[in-house]
Amino acid sequence: MLQNVIIGQYYPASSPLHRMDSRSKLIAAFFYLFIVFLANNWLTYGLLIAFTFVTISLSKVPLRFLYKGLKPILLLVVFTMLLHIFLTKEGDLLYKAGFLEIYEGGVIQGIFIALRLLLLVMMTSLLTLTTTPIDITDGLEHLLGPLKKWKLPVHEFALMMSISLRFIPTLLQETEKIMKAQMARGADFTSGPIKERAKAFVPLLVPLFVSSFKRAEELALAMEARGYRGGEGRTRLRALEWHQRDTFALLLLALLTLALFLLRN
Amino acid sequence: MEGTPFERRALHDINLDIADGTFLALIGHTGSGKSTLIQHLNGLLKPSAGSIKMGSTELKAGGKKQDLKSLRKKAGIVFQYPEHQLFEETVEKDIMFGPRNFGVSEETARLTAAKVIEMVGLPESVLQKSPFDLSGGQMRRVAIAGVLAMNPEVLILDEPTAGLDPAGRVEIMELFYSLHERNNLTTILVTHSMEDASRYADEIAVMHKGELYLHGKPTDIFSEREALQKAGLDVPETVQFLQKWNEKSGLNLALSKFTVDELAKQVSQSLKKRGN
Repeated sequence: MLQNVIIGQYYPASSPLHRMDSRSKLIAAFFYLFIVFLANNWLTYGLLIAFTFVTISLSKVPLRFLYKGLKPILLLVVFTMLLHIFLTKEGDLLYKAGFLEIYEGGVIQGIFIALRLLLLVMMTSLLTLTTTPIDITDGLEHLLGPLKKWKLPVHEFALMMSISLRFIPTLLQETEKIMKAQMARGADFTSGPIKERAKAFVPLLVPLFVSSFKRAEELALAMEARGYRGGEGRTRLRALEWHQRDTFALLLLALLTLALFLLRN
Repeated sequence: MEGTPFERRALHDINLDIADGTFLALIGHTGSGKSTLIQHLNGLLKPSAGSIKMGSTELKAGGKKQDLKSLRKKAGIVFQYPEHQLFEETVEKDIMFGPRNFGVSEETARLTAAKVIEMVGLPESVLQKSPFDLSGGQMRRVAIAGVLAMNPEVLILDEPTAGLDPAGRVEIMELFYSLHERNNLTTILVTHSMEDASRYADEIAVMHKGELYLHGKPTDIFSEREALQKAGLDVPETVQFLQKWNEKSGLNLALSKFTVDELAKQVSQSLKKRGN
């Protein structure tokens, strides 16, 4: 029932992208968010598409998986594309029916915007597909480290994130277990009018809340018992390692940026 | 999760007939597929191949939506740590949840609640309390009462004594056994404990790596000690003792029940005989 939920969408495989340091991947993905907006003609978009697909093929993540991540936003993409097609009035008039007018500029603009959105989502899902959630959190904590100077609780924030990530599978398991237990007692979560169905979730939610609070309390106690006192002077089990390939990847991205600058209109 | 790197075959090649009124112990190492198997019995999981037949209801692989509700009424499952499923304001309401879902009237359900709470050894005054004010052991009993209230013909128990103290274990197991005898139930007990299996079961089925590894009467199963050890199990302590005893004394004693009392009786009798 809950088997279709893959948290963080991580796709286990062994690829150069999987082996990259999470920090370099985060920087690259963040940087990519900006340079996508540099593209404004066919050549630059072509370059971006080529770059993105080479990266995807390097990651060994099947396109089918990537498509699954894209599905939820496809509607948005199509909608934005149509808006642009119908509302941009530039270039030659291609088609006219009543008040509907489609211009060449609108079609091009629509395609560009759709491409932009798709590329953005593909690249960012590639980040989560090739990096475990825990690695992302660790990387974020490192990258945001300098903000500690301004008393930003970076460590606490990262800890909160890793704890919630750690407990998502547990919570899912628990949900499934309680759901089954109530179904065995004749509960029906899948049919009936909406009002009844909403009510049917009470027997699921109450036990989940109770056990979550209990678990949080136990965890806090266990952490205190083992002398946890925040991030000060704490070493880590999984140290992040910056390799040559990380530097290389960022250089490649810089090169792409340069090319985009040169080739754009 | 089919078609993903997470896909795994949980059960394979299982042929198991359970006659009415049998007390079957389903035993196996962690991850051997016991819990997965019992969840198929009332349609919580559906088989990807093969079929499950209970009474007149049959669940087939790829079959259409079948009448799961009647199946679920017939087979009551007490899950591991069943106290986690309590949710109502009062114990009484929680026990009534099952019967009410199966269309029993409120009054009848209330009467049933009063009946089953006594069956599980709790005073009737508990009925009006919140289940969250009870102790862990009491909560477990309330949850069990909630399953019994559905009046199932087949009672499926998934490690019902996990996490209880030794006295609580014995009490709960005795409760299930007496219910089994009195109401002529078919009982399927999932357990790690050979001791429990040997004490209560008419038949034992051993699961290993998702397959049915051994199935038979306890005496037959216990004679295959090596096979059991291969599956990460062992014969109960009473049988271990007796086997050693037989080896040393050259006798051929057998147990009719696998309790310590029975063992002591057999051994003392043989000693007396030798004394004569």
